[in-house]
Amino acid sequence: MTVLARLKNLAARSPWLYRINAGSCNGCDVELATTALIPRYDVERLGIQYCGSPRHADIVLITGPLTKHVLEAATRIYAEIPDPKVTVAVGVCPISGGIYRESYAVCAPIDQYFPVDVNIPGCPPRPPAIIEGVAKALEIWRQRL
Amino acid sequence: MNFLSLFARNLRRGPYTEPFPFGPPSPTPKRLRGRIAFDAATCEGCLLCEKLCPSGAIKFTRTPEGMTFDCWHPTCVFCGTCEFYCPTKAIHQTNDWHLAHFQSEKFGMTEHGLIPNLVCADCGGKGLNTVPNTAKVRPPLSAEEVVQLRARCPKCRNKFLKSRGKKP
Amino acid sequence: MANSYAILIAVLLFPGGLFALALGLTLKGADRRVAARLQGRVGPPLTQPFFDIVKLGFKRTMVPDTASETVFLAAPLVGTASMLLAVALIPIAGVYNPDPQIGNLLVLLYLLAIPGVALMIAGSASGSPYGAIGFSREMALMLAYEGPIVLVVIAVALRTGLAEGHFPTFSLAEIVHYQQAHGAFVLDPVMWPAAAAFAFFYPANLGIVPFDIPEAETEVLEGPLLEYSGPALALFKIMSALKAVVVLSLGVALFMPLPLTGGVGLAAWVGQQLVLVLIGVTAVRVSRGRMRIDQAFVFFLKWPLLLSAASLAVAAYYTAGGAL
Repeated sequence: MTVLARLKNLAARSPWLYRINAGSCNGCDVELATTALIPRYDVERLGIQYCGSPRHADIVLITGPLTKHVLEAATRIYAEIPDPKVTVAVGVCPISGGIYRESYAVCAPIDQYFPVDVNIPGCPPRPPAIIEGVAKALEIWRQRL
Repeated sequence: MNFLSLFARNLRRGPYTEPFPFGPPSPTPKRLRGRIAFDAATCEGCLLCEKLCPSGAIKFTRTPEGMTFDCWHPTCVFCGTCEFYCPTKAIHQTNDWHLAHFQSEKFGMTEHGLIPNLVCADCGGKGLNTVPNTAKVRPPLSAEEVVQLRARCPKCRNKFLKSRGKKP
Repeated sequence: MANSYAILIAVLLFPGGLFALALGLTLKGADRRVAARLQGRVGPPLTQPFFDIVKLGFKRTMVPDTASETVFLAAPLVGTASMLLAVALIPIAGVYNPDPQIGNLLVLLYLLAIPGVALMIAGSASGSPYGAIGFSREMALMLAYEGPIVLVVIAVALRTGLAEGHFPTFSLAEIVHYQQAHGAFVLDPVMWPAAAAFAFFYPANLGIVPFDIPEAETEVLEGPLLEYSGPALALFKIMSALKAVVVLSLGVALFMPLPLTGGVGLAAWVGQQLVLVLIGVTAVRVSRGRMRIDQAFVFFLKWPLLLSAASLAVAAYYTAGGAL
């Protein structure tokens, strides 16, 4: 194993998470906060930190059906996240639209606009399901480094 | 100084953290509304679930083989309406929450079922092998009668029930 | 020439540079791990800060359109360089004595202010409104805490210098030697106000929770660091790790050097820092909420300033009276 590959293996153990709320009802955001904060689902074990700035992020969690109103802002924030990055859609809304599907006010599914890598369905998904999805995103993040 | 006793308790007791994802997840509540499971053998074919589904996740399609059932989990909101209204509980919500998937698997996240065609035992016409709706039939049908009824096409089922002296 | 090589080694290898970086990151890892344990969580591995630094090395650095690029990229370099030099200035009791050519306690005081200034410059150069808020908060906080620390340092210098029968000494090596011979200042009731004022100073300088107002993640999204990404952010992380070592070892040198030498002395020194971090940083960080900037400002102008002024007066009176 070369030095570079070894360093990449180390780097893969430090993914920082950033949330984009693309018009979500806050259900998924509450579950994300639960996953992040309560000792029962300690995500810091995986080296995960939630960061406030898109510039620090590695894994982007997008919630909400991407309403027309936030489309531009969400695209701009997404572009500000430095490469390499992994995109995770949390909840059914960003994946397919959920109950807002085919509404005139939403742009779901978001994979029309962002290169989504992992989907976590659920309305909202359970915290363990979110951790499972983030663990899947880590596999992609390791390859992408 | 309340926080000091809290610290002492946490240090003494050890972490509350679940081992997942490094170990097995903790037991899931039995009534958790998770992945949809469909049993084609007990379906009545009433299409109530398709009509009621708030997010349009359930779709029945007529194919040459019969009628297919598809529930696409990435749009299902796990509300449980389908199970609640299903007359025979052919549609059922399990407590399985392992639904996270890679984008390449997105369109494979379906629950699929097929209600096959049948040839009517009386007239030889085409029908669907669904469970007959016998909830309102008085006196109740015996098990053999239900089997006989199931082997018939809808028209012959109506005739059969009329011959019992009751409208279905 | 040999002398300049020794300085170079002191700045880049031991006790500055690699050694201080490894120590600072390990202290940070221990802090995160123990904080998690206090909260009933498992917490990240001890080496997590190293992973973070390596990860940031693989990311892209983005410079905002509105930023002034040169200043934006130079600020972390200046901050890190100043801290590298500052570590080499502080003696480790019985192990390392800094070359008097590099500087003394006064130079160290100036160097200690540079990371804060670098953060302020970074925040204002990034062109982000959050950065500007972080800038103004950092400046207000610095104004509040720089005064007490200067008084504390003068009190310690006065105490040592007058006790040895000459002017106040600003040589850290001399201060450490005096304490090794006559007992640490932390055991001397005359110096308790100074030690208390220093205890208030170092969470503010390190930017940890009661006083992490400039970088408040939930209020101003990490303020000056908001626009940084990749290696530049890694440099800031390295800077804060080194700063932790500088401030803690300054505290150890000013108040509690141990009369030990060699490997035992070094291990004891590292142990002292670890204890200081776990008690002074982790426990406080986990149990306290963040102050508002006005509260912190008033707090620093009230208690630490009072304590440090008192320590200066007491030290001057006691040592002068003792000498007379």
